[in-house]
Amino acid sequence: MSGLGPALLNSLEMGLLLFVIAVGLNIVFGVLNIINFAHGALYMLGAYLAYTLMSLAGLSFWVALIIAPLGVAAIAVVIDRLMLRFIYHRDVADSLLLTFAILLIIAESIRSIFGSNIQAVYPPDALQGTVRLLGGSYPVYSLFVIFSGLVILAGLWYLFNRTRVGKIMRAAALDRDMAEALCINTRMVVTGVFAFGAWLAGVGGVIAAPMRTIDPGMGDKIIIESFIVVVIGGLGSFPGALLGALILGAIYGFGGRYFPEFNLLLPFLGMALVLLFKPTGLMGKGANA
Amino acid sequence: MKTFNPKNLMVSAMTAATLSIGAGGVMADDHPIHFGGIYILSGSAATYGEFAQEGINLAVDEINQGGGILGRQVEVTFEDSQGKAATAIQAARKLAYQDNVDAMLGLDSSGVAQGMVPTVPELQKPFIITHAATPDVTGNLCNEFTYRISVNVPQNQKAAARIAAKTDAKRWTTIGPDYAFGHQTWEYFGNYLKELNPDVELMEDTAFPRFGAEDFTPFINGVMDADPDGVIISVWGGDLVNFVRQATNLGFFDQGYELMFTVGAATEVLDALGDRMPEGVWLSTRYWYDAYDNELNQNFVKAYMDRYDHAPSYNAQGAYSAIYAYKQAMEAAGTTDGPAVAKALSGMTMEATNGTVTFRKADNQAMVSPTWGKTGPMHPEHGIRTLTDIQVFDGEEISRTPEETGCSL
Repeated sequence: MSGLGPALLNSLEMGLLLFVIAVGLNIVFGVLNIINFAHGALYMLGAYLAYTLMSLAGLSFWVALIIAPLGVAAIAVVIDRLMLRFIYHRDVADSLLLTFAILLIIAESIRSIFGSNIQAVYPPDALQGTVRLLGGSYPVYSLFVIFSGLVILAGLWYLFNRTRVGKIMRAAALDRDMAEALCINTRMVVTGVFAFGAWLAGVGGVIAAPMRTIDPGMGDKIIIESFIVVVIGGLGSFPGALLGALILGAIYGFGGRYFPEFNLLLPFLGMALVLLFKPTGLMGKGANA
Repeated sequence: MKTFNPKNLMVSAMTAATLSIGAGGVMADDHPIHFGGIYILSGSAATYGEFAQEGINLAVDEINQGGGILGRQVEVTFEDSQGKAATAIQAARKLAYQDNVDAMLGLDSSGVAQGMVPTVPELQKPFIITHAATPDVTGNLCNEFTYRISVNVPQNQKAAARIAAKTDAKRWTTIGPDYAFGHQTWEYFGNYLKELNPDVELMEDTAFPRFGAEDFTPFINGVMDADPDGVIISVWGGDLVNFVRQATNLGFFDQGYELMFTVGAATEVLDALGDRMPEGVWLSTRYWYDAYDNELNQNFVKAYMDRYDHAPSYNAQGAYSAIYAYKQAMEAAGTTDGPAVAKALSGMTMEATNGTVTFRKADNQAMVSPTWGKTGPMHPEHGIRTLTDIQVFDGEEISRTPEETGCSL
């Protein structure tokens, strides 16, 4: 089998991009007990902000990579203060309904501002072209995607295991009342976590923008893939998001190359198998854990 | 909201006022002729539906300014198919039974068309397909109410095969979306090319990424490993924009392949790509605004660009022409009665912006040719690639014979 190397790199690229997006979904669920349907719309918002900054304002990709995710996080703070905070104590199903409405609001706002044309931005000059790697030519930008994914992975691990903020987030996730009793301002934690999840979606959107088209349907596609990742890996689990994303990336990367006729079926087959044999996901804690 | 046309509202309001003032004295036939359009108006392919709306709104306003059809004003209602057959069927029923439209047009996706077409006769309204290209709707699924004004897959592929046969490429493969359209494109292209040139090899290594795949890298790598001479590519819409960008990154365009994009010259796609669409590849379209030297086309392109500030896409032109086809058919029939108008369309010949178009009696398919051309330098004003070496074929010649269609009308 030729081209094993490119398939592997491709799997990693897709997997790590999916991880960046899906882990935000998972953190928000883990700490806030909210399934954020609008997560894909926030990813789309990141891409559109990048398009605005790069194509319309003429700024560089690197500036967009810093500013656009912060913009998404700022919008997330507004969403949290205006809408989400009223339903934190309610059943998780209510959050699905509300975030679905938020998704529609964001998607239609983007459509009325930017229209439904297909938009495109391009990688910065430094990241264009290809390199020879593992027996195939491979786009430099894809290596950058892998690198960014690894940086975020390392950063998240450090945040949760080595910093006070990370420990507070985990404490609030474990038992919000107890955390409050220990003088932790959970309201700020809650808003902060939601904004952080949105920031991750925004980063994913900016990174994806130069290699994917920007259109009002892009949020729908990614949210489905993110849910597949989360179901395979385990809802609310940080390593689960990584494992699920890498598995789905491998399904796309290797499946697309060696079994292209099954590329529609494979992701859902993987999801169905996990649901059958380990309904909580591969890394899920399960009901009694 | 572009679905809402203030002019239509004005017309309806004025008509209603006339009716109430002249109560009794006004004939019922003074109410506007009502068209229903079903297109993808949401999601990633919504840009196609918007172009169709632009074309239809232009035609409707032109016709109203010229005195309407049969002395009656014209109005249109749009419904979103969402790219789903079930939604389109529901929309058609709503248009026929609640809005009481006189005739319908639309459909962007082959999958939607295959689901929807068998339900058209029950509505007793004519339906002109303006975009979807599956051979089935003017083939084994054909019926006396369904017409198609746009190019279908066999027509496009017979033209493609003629161009491919003239190249030196011997080993051909394909990259296409994993549904009816992608597979039928490869099937017809392969068969026609074999007929013209029995020496060619149709490769086993084909690639059918799912529609909306976003990442085409594994498929592009796979095809490059197989090292073909020529590739026919039926990826379209936003997918095509992704594909071209990723293929450029991988050096796909530097391999010396003969490349043919079966729906490449869509202005929606060329707009997004600009000069990133490589030069020297073959692109096809059902209509290219710069290719036909007739007065109708000159007027259409001018009116369209004045009003919308961009070039008309093939989808805009198909939808625009369909309204004029209905005008001619209704005037020929002298009525807007559904079965009578459908009958008038059968075998009808009309002058359209892309030349003379005839709806063949045997299968209700318009005898039209795709327009193929090679990408040339950027257009100085329109911001998209120009087409050079433009090839237009005889519509009748590149269509399936009535026997081949499997349609018995």
